[in-house]
Amino acid sequence: MRHSIPTQSFARSLTRALPAACVGLAALLGGASTLASPGPCVGEGDSTAPAKRPILNRDPNALAPRPPARSGAPAAAPVAGMQGGPGLAIKAKKILTAEWQGRSVVNNGVVLVKDGIIEAVGPASDVKIPSNYEIQDLGDDWLMPGIVELHCHIAGAFGLNDTVYLTNPGLRASSDVIPGNEALRLGMAAGVTTVLYIPGSGTNIGGQGILLRSGFDTFERAEIRTPGSMKLAQAGNPERWTTRPNRSFMNWNTRNTLRRGKTYADKWTEYEKNGGERPEINPQFEIFRALMANMAQISTHTQIYQVALKTITDVHDELGIPVFIDHGTFDTWRLGKLIEEREIFAIVGPRAIDVPTRGFINWSGSNPERIQGCVAGYQEMGVTRIGFNTDSPVIPQEELQLQAAMGVRYGFDNSKMDAVRGLTIVPAMACGLDQSIGSIEVGKIADLLWITGDPADPRSFVKEVWQSGEVVYDISEEKRLW
Amino acid sequence: MKQLQSIEGPGAPAGLAGRISFLGLASSVLLLGASAISLTGPALASYSPPTPAAFQDEEDDSEDAEEGKKEEEEDDKFLALVGGEIHTGLGGVLRNATLLAKNGKIHSFGYDVDVPEGAEVVDLGGMRVYPGLIAVSSSGLFGGGGDLANSVDPYSQNMTLALAAGITTAVNGNTVAKLKRGHVKGLVVKEDAFESLSYSNGNPQGQLKVNENFQRASEYLREYRAYEEEKRSNKDAKEPSRKGVDDKSVSILRGEIRPRFAANSRTDLMEIAELAQRFGFRPIVEGAREGWTIADHLGRAGVTAIVTPRTRRGKDERQVAEGGSSIENAAKLYQHGVPVVVVPASNGISLGGIVGQDLLHLPIEAGFAIRGGLPEQAALESITLEAARVLGVDYRIGSIEVGKDADLIVTDGDLLHYQTFVQWAIVDGEIVYDKQEEMFFAHIRPRPESALAPEKTVDAGEEGAIDPEGEEEDGDGDDDDEDEDEDEDSEDK
Repeated sequence: MRHSIPTQSFARSLTRALPAACVGLAALLGGASTLASPGPCVGEGDSTAPAKRPILNRDPNALAPRPPARSGAPAAAPVAGMQGGPGLAIKAKKILTAEWQGRSVVNNGVVLVKDGIIEAVGPASDVKIPSNYEIQDLGDDWLMPGIVELHCHIAGAFGLNDTVYLTNPGLRASSDVIPGNEALRLGMAAGVTTVLYIPGSGTNIGGQGILLRSGFDTFERAEIRTPGSMKLAQAGNPERWTTRPNRSFMNWNTRNTLRRGKTYADKWTEYEKNGGERPEINPQFEIFRALMANMAQISTHTQIYQVALKTITDVHDELGIPVFIDHGTFDTWRLGKLIEEREIFAIVGPRAIDVPTRGFINWSGSNPERIQGCVAGYQEMGVTRIGFNTDSPVIPQEELQLQAAMGVRYGFDNSKMDAVRGLTIVPAMACGLDQSIGSIEVGKIADLLWITGDPADPRSFVKEVWQSGEVVYDISEEKRLW
Repeated sequence: MKQLQSIEGPGAPAGLAGRISFLGLASSVLLLGASAISLTGPALASYSPPTPAAFQDEEDDSEDAEEGKKEEEEDDKFLALVGGEIHTGLGGVLRNATLLAKNGKIHSFGYDVDVPEGAEVVDLGGMRVYPGLIAVSSSGLFGGGGDLANSVDPYSQNMTLALAAGITTAVNGNTVAKLKRGHVKGLVVKEDAFESLSYSNGNPQGQLKVNENFQRASEYLREYRAYEEEKRSNKDAKEPSRKGVDDKSVSILRGEIRPRFAANSRTDLMEIAELAQRFGFRPIVEGAREGWTIADHLGRAGVTAIVTPRTRRGKDERQVAEGGSSIENAAKLYQHGVPVVVVPASNGISLGGIVGQDLLHLPIEAGFAIRGGLPEQAALESITLEAARVLGVDYRIGSIEVGKDADLIVTDGDLLHYQTFVQWAIVDGEIVYDKQEEMFFAHIRPRPESALAPEKTVDAGEEGAIDPEGEEEDGDGDDDDEDEDEDEDSEDK
C-alpha cells in the first residue's frame, strides 16, 4: 500500500480509505498526515513516485472535521454546529478571539459555526445570523477558543518512559493513549481541548509525542497528528540514566543522534526529489523526516540557562530542526534575546517562579535575590511567543489556566491579553496547528469554550465545551467536573 | 452625597469623607462611595487635632484628669490607616475611610476618626484593608520546631513570606500563634486549638473506644450534675468517681475544646455526624471530601468543615452512593449551614517554583471555592473569621471590629484576585511586612513611591457605590463644625 500522496485533494479522498489509525491527521488537517512513514500508517512497501509533501495545514479550506458518530455506535442525528447539522450561532458578552497579533476581544459578539467550522465572528451588529441557525445565547458569559497544552503526560497509561537507550527517537507515546480518560476529561472540563501527549524525560530523547483532542473518547476521533513531536530532554532527569551521564556527554550523544537523523531525512528528501536508489528505512530515524519537513517539532525539556542555550545553539542553529522550549523555567528567561531573535516558542511550566538559590534566599547578603516570575522574565527580555504548560500530572491538567494566572501574578503583563494567547494561539503555533485551532477566526475548527469570565481567574469556570462544533461537555446536562 | 473637601498640602486632616457614625455601619452591610477625593497632602505630622472624644477614657472626662491623661497618651501607640477601602470581613465595606489602631487593638474606624498627634500614619490611597488571614494548619512558618516558646525564629524567611501572603495568624502544631515578626513574646493566642480524634470506619476498634469514652464521659457529667444538684440540700453528697473517665471526652462534651477529625469518606463523615449528635458536641472535620453528598446531615450535626476546594479524587468503586471529590464541595456544605474553612493543599511555603498550591496562595484556594459556587463573602470568611471561630479565637481576630486585635493586611486590589499583592501586613498594630521593603516581590508592579499618588482619586461612579443610608448618617450636624475647626487649626500652624 502506498501512502506517498502527491496532492492534498488526493490525500483527502484517500483518507476515507485509509485505516482508522491513519485518519487522525488527515481528517483534521485535510490529508496532511500522509507523510510517508512516521505516522502509524507507515509505508513499508516500495515507494516509487517521488512524494511532494503537502505543506502542513496551511489551507483552511482543506479542513474536514470527522463525522460525529462514535466508532461502533450508530450515528446520532447531528445537532447544530456539528458536521452535517444545521448552523449554530453563539452570542456572548465577550468573545476572546485570541488572534495572534490581531484583535483579542469582541464585545457583544456572535460566532457562527457550520459543519464544525467557524464561519463568522464579529460584533452582533455586524454578523448576520441566517434564519435557519440555532441560536445559543451565553448571556453575560464569555466565549474563547479551546486551550492547547503542549506538555501532557496524562493521556495514556503512563507507559511512556522507557529508558532503553539514552536516545530513543523511535518510541511512540501513541502506543499508550487512552483517549477520553478521566484525567484528560477533567482537563477538558477546564477547557483544555488539545494536548500534546509526550514521553517522559528519563532519557535524552524519550520518543515521539502525539497530538490529541481531549473531548473525544475513541482514538480515531481523538488523534490529531502522529507524530505530534519528538521529545528531547537535554539535562536533568536523563542524568539518572544507567551510566549516570553528565551534560557534556549527553549533549554530544544527543547531537550525534540528531545529526544522524537529519542525514537520514536528507537522504529521503534527496531520493524523493531526484530518485535514485531508495534509502533503507530506519524506524529509529523515521521521525526526522517529519521534523525536517516541519510537520512535527522537537518539544524540548530544557531549562536553566546553559541547558537551554544548547537547545538554541545546537538544535536550532547548528542542526536547523524545528524546536520549541517546553519547560524553560529557572533562569532560562535570561536567554530571551536569543530566543526572540530566532522566533522560538517558549512554552513555560510547570514552575512559575524562580528563586535563584532554590528555596534559600540569600537575603542578608550583599546581592539580594528576588522571586522572579518565569514568564515575566521572558516578557521583560522581549520574547513574544510565550505559552504555558502544566507537565500534567505534575500540575493537574485542569490547572493550566492557573499557570497563566500565576504568570500574571508574578509580573507578566496581561494588559494585551497575552495570558489568553499563551493558552491558545501561541501553543497552537508552536506545534504547527495554528491554521486550524488556537483562536476564533473564520475557517478554523470550532473548538470553543463557554466560560464565566477571565479564564485565568480561578473563580471562572467552563460551562460548555465544543470540539469541531460538537458539544463534548455541558454542565447543564451532566455532573460538573471542574 | 455631601460634598467632600479637597485636601491639599501638609497639615491635611485625616478625617476625610463625610462622617458617619461607626456604630451605624458596623451592624449593617454598607458599600459607601466617597466622591472624588484628591489626596496630595503627604503627612499629618504637623497636624494637631483637638483631642477627640473617642480617646478620652470615660473617667478622665474632668479637666483635672487632663495632665494624667496626656502622660498616658504619650505612651500610647497609634497606627492610622488613612484613605483605605476597609473590608471589615463581616460584609461591610467603607470606602475612603480611616482605621485607627491603639496599642495593638482596633480603636476605631470609619469616617469619624481623628488621628492623634504622634500616630504613625499610612496613607493607603484607596488600597484595601482586610482582616489578617488565618491558616488553621501550617508548618515551618515560625522556624525551629513545634515548641514555639523556645524555638521561634522571629525573622524566619517563611514567616515573612506568610505575611506577604496576608497570613497574620497560623496554627503551629496545636498552638494558635501570630506571625509577629521581630518578636519572640506575645505570639501565642491559644495553646490548644483542637482535640484530635480518630473515628474511622476502617478502625472499628478505635470507633468503639471513642464511643465508650464519650458514653462514660456523658454518664459522668450527668452524675456530676446530679451531684451538684444534690449538694445544695445534702452536704454529704458523694462526688461521682472520675475513674476510667476520659478527660478529653469530658472537655469536649463540656464545650471547652472542639474535636477535630480527619475524615473524607461519606461513611466516616456520616458516622462522625451521628456521634456528634448522639453526644452533643460540635465536631470539626478536616478534609470532608465527600461532604457535598451529605451536606444536610453535616449541617444538622453542627459540623465545621476544613476543606481544600481543589481536592481531586474519584470515589471508591465499591461505594454505591455518589462520592469522590467535587469542586462544589465548599459551596454545598455552606448552603447546608456547614461553616467552611479553607486550607491549601500544602500547609507550608514552597519556593521550589511550582506555585499556587501552598500557603503563599491561600486566597487562591479560596478562589477555587468560589469557582464551585461559594459566595465571595463566605470565601473571605473561610480564611478569616470562620477560621478564627474554628480555633475559638474569634473574640480577638478574624474581622475588623472595634476592640479586636489590629491584625490587618493592606492589598492593592480584591484579595481574592490572582494578581493582588499584600502591600502591608500589620500584627498587633505594628507593621511587620512592607512589600516595598522586602526583596521578594518589591519588583513586581511596585507600589508608587508614596501611596499618596498625586491626584489619586477614588471614583464613586460605580454602580451602587453610593448608599443613601450612609448619606443620611452623614448629615450629622457636628461634623461640619469639626471639619472647619480642623482646617483652622492647620492653617494656624
